[in-house]
Amino acid sequence: MGRAEPAAFVTRLGRSAFVAVILILCVTPFLLVFAISFGEKIEGAAWAWGFEFTNYKRFFVGADYPNTTSLLYLKFLWFSLYYAMFASILAVATSFPFVWLMTRQSRRAQTCWLVFFLASLTLSEVFVVMGWDILLSNRSGLPALFKEIGITTWLKESGWLDVLRTWGIASPRNVRFKPTEFATILTMSYLVWPYAVILLYPPLSKINNELIEAARTMGAGPVTVVRTIVLPMVRKPLVGTTLLLFVFLLGTYVTIAVFAAPDKSTLSISVYEAVRGATLNAPFGSAQAIILLITAAIILVLGRIAFLPDEGRR
Amino acid sequence: MPDLIMSQICKKYGSVTAVENANLTFETGKLTALLGPSGCGKTTLLRMIAGLEVPTFGDIILAGESIVSKSAEQRKFGMVFQSFALFPHLNVQRNVSYSLRISGVDAAMRRAKAQELLDLVQLGDKGERKIGQLSGGQRQRVAIARALAQEPEVFLLDEPMSALDAQLRGDLQMQLRLLQQKLGITTIVVTHDQREAMTMADQIVVMSHGRIEQIGSPQEIYHKPANSFVANFIGNANLLDGVATATGIRVGETDIAVSDRDEFGAGQRVTLFCRPEAVTLHDTPAKNALPGTVTFVRDEGPIREIHLTTPAGDITAEIPGSFEETVKIDDKLHAILPENLLHLLPERAHDQNEAAR
Amino acid sequence: MMGIFVSRLFMGIIAVWIAFPILVVCAAALNGGRTMFFPPEDPTLLRFAEFFVTEEVWIRSLRNSLIIAFGGAALAVMAAWPIAYWLWRKADGFSKILAGLASMPFALPPIVFGVGLVFFWGYSGSLGHIWSGIISHAALFVALPLTTLSIGLQGIDRSHMDAAATMGASEATAFRTIILPQMLPFTASGFFFAMVLSFNEFIVVFFVSASAYSTVTVQIFNSLRNGFTPTMAVGAITFIVTSILIFSMIARFGNLPQLLGADNAK
Repeated sequence: MGRAEPAAFVTRLGRSAFVAVILILCVTPFLLVFAISFGEKIEGAAWAWGFEFTNYKRFFVGADYPNTTSLLYLKFLWFSLYYAMFASILAVATSFPFVWLMTRQSRRAQTCWLVFFLASLTLSEVFVVMGWDILLSNRSGLPALFKEIGITTWLKESGWLDVLRTWGIASPRNVRFKPTEFATILTMSYLVWPYAVILLYPPLSKINNELIEAARTMGAGPVTVVRTIVLPMVRKPLVGTTLLLFVFLLGTYVTIAVFAAPDKSTLSISVYEAVRGATLNAPFGSAQAIILLITAAIILVLGRIAFLPDEGRR
Repeated sequence: MPDLIMSQICKKYGSVTAVENANLTFETGKLTALLGPSGCGKTTLLRMIAGLEVPTFGDIILAGESIVSKSAEQRKFGMVFQSFALFPHLNVQRNVSYSLRISGVDAAMRRAKAQELLDLVQLGDKGERKIGQLSGGQRQRVAIARALAQEPEVFLLDEPMSALDAQLRGDLQMQLRLLQQKLGITTIVVTHDQREAMTMADQIVVMSHGRIEQIGSPQEIYHKPANSFVANFIGNANLLDGVATATGIRVGETDIAVSDRDEFGAGQRVTLFCRPEAVTLHDTPAKNALPGTVTFVRDEGPIREIHLTTPAGDITAEIPGSFEETVKIDDKLHAILPENLLHLLPERAHDQNEAAR
Repeated sequence: MMGIFVSRLFMGIIAVWIAFPILVVCAAALNGGRTMFFPPEDPTLLRFAEFFVTEEVWIRSLRNSLIIAFGGAALAVMAAWPIAYWLWRKADGFSKILAGLASMPFALPPIVFGVGLVFFWGYSGSLGHIWSGIISHAALFVALPLTTLSIGLQGIDRSHMDAAATMGASEATAFRTIILPQMLPFTASGFFFAMVLSFNEFIVVFFVSASAYSTVTVQIFNSLRNGFTPTMAVGAITFIVTSILIFSMIARFGNLPQLLGADNAK
């Protein structure tokens, strides 16, 4: 029977081969990372298979434990989580009102906005960092501009510069953004901002205008409508988007390399160093990648349990 | 006779039975309506005829030859779908000639045939239109023309009117019936609308819960329903529970004479069936009369529907409409049930009636 | 009235915020000197000539970027079609698992996939070959055409296949004459999505590339660390313009709001 037959244009053999290729390309790399994380390093940049937890031990307490304890990599992990969490929450919190307003515009206006955000979404991390780097670098960009038009002088006289210094984004002479946590988080949140728009767009655009009009006939103003109708309706996508962006940002590389101070670096940097960079310790790099992945999974599960109680228990 | 015959057809989805032991004969050139509430298995039955579903058990025979193992594309029964399933990327003319194109008919013949069919459904000038530019009724006619283009042995329609508004339906039902009679093609229509079935069909198959309840002409189905489900599903019915007697039925305290007693034995629990338009109302008692009180009057213009409560149960009577108000609420009247228009049915299962509504 | 003004203002600020770094990069490309300044000093279009015509290293990396983006996107679409079709026709557990696994490289942090690919290609001895870069990107971005194709297939009335069957079309014929023509916009947008993202992708290429071939993004990252040259800003402009053109095309020929999952009825 035509219906019961599987897709006739792919033979059974071809289909199996196709499935095998997909599995090999999309799954084996992850399995390799997992397997090699238990391997051991051989002097001279090579490594061998093995099954030991040396790399994991090194991650948590340092290679020389119990003589000395090093929490260096835990600190990297902490900064990975800190930057990603901060930036993703910032992006979702600011993009939510924007997308809401956007979905209330005409179809045509929405399409224009979408093209704009899609173009900036696909923009390579490298370009984004380049743009912000020019803007935030101490010799050109905003600090130079501030100095030029007198904002720096005003900041100094009004005492705001000292406030900015306590926030870590100014030197005694002028505002200073590089290297700072501020610039790192700003750029990271910029990176995922278009993603937040794209992810929040479908649920928000599906909210029927009649619902809003109904609430307004009952006396709710625009802000009350958003607070009492829209927010509860999109709680799930909001949490989901935040978690997705968080996972995405865990792997940020270029932003950290350019904007973060070396002592506030993240796991992505040290993973690259171990696998392809200066330190060349592939098993240890794999272990770090696996820990990054597991941490991401734990946070996803915890996030779902905490914010989506009816979903998290599935 | 190259009739289409379904023999002992069963269809199960896991543990759910969609169609149970269906035995049907579709006479050549006749129109059959598969009628029933939604979920009764009528669409599954149609799809099995088309070859889109495989029966779990049973055989389908066309002109003496089993076709049950043939796929839909081998049977090539033209089918009109509920959504019409017109291809949006093709224009009207190319939709109609689709079956000819894929079987390799040359372009000139394709165009001629499509034009002929579009003329037949009075859309001769719409061939170059896009599907999106057509109204609902036009789409239905394109779907019909498309299904007929391959000159199928059997023509299938799955709820062809359900996507159209009520005003269009009556007109299109008539047109479809006239077209079918003109072409003399064996046609099977699935519908949940008893009016539609009565308008178009030579034979009606009433279904519920995957079972066939009755097969018959529209007149048989209406005037002599096989059971209380059919009686209720086709039009309005007065149904009174009682006990069969030698001459008829005893409902409440009253004996009602019934000419057509069927084979029910005295003492058996049965249900009395009477159409509202058969009931007459009188001020004085007579034979086969039930005394009652008027509870509601629905004036529909041409007819007036009078609802009464009687000791034997509620009764509805339909009388011709008139300008004067002849009956009022709380009037005491006698409802006369004419002996020759009554039938006895097997005792009704009440839950089944609930489900049918 | 006030509310409209405030919301317009808010949206305007956001637009400026998003556009600002991009504009800065564009302006920086006009710098006359060898150093990046904003606002540009001594504006010139010389950098464009350098990027496209005279400087070998940029021309080579641009060519590599194009090859990888085009090849990777084409392979991704070819791999996504059978999965999406299977998912639509059957929706059985196996096809769902397969689609999930195929989306994994895109869903997990790319740095982990990058590490895995280093081992994967290292094993087969092809680390640093350009075709390993193409296949890596195909695997990374197969999720995108898979998504657009699934959205497109969901929009097709399933009774179309039944209708074609009752008119004598086999599944292959129905696929060719009914599904494929209706799915062209979705195939194209899936391809373009994958191509644009591949063009801009950095981390995975950074891992699997070698000095023998580098893409524009890798080349820019290297110069980012070794000090700016305004020439790389030209690269950035090329990318931005390409992206905007491609998405405008998708918006023009396809239904962008629908592709992104907006309510169709509106």
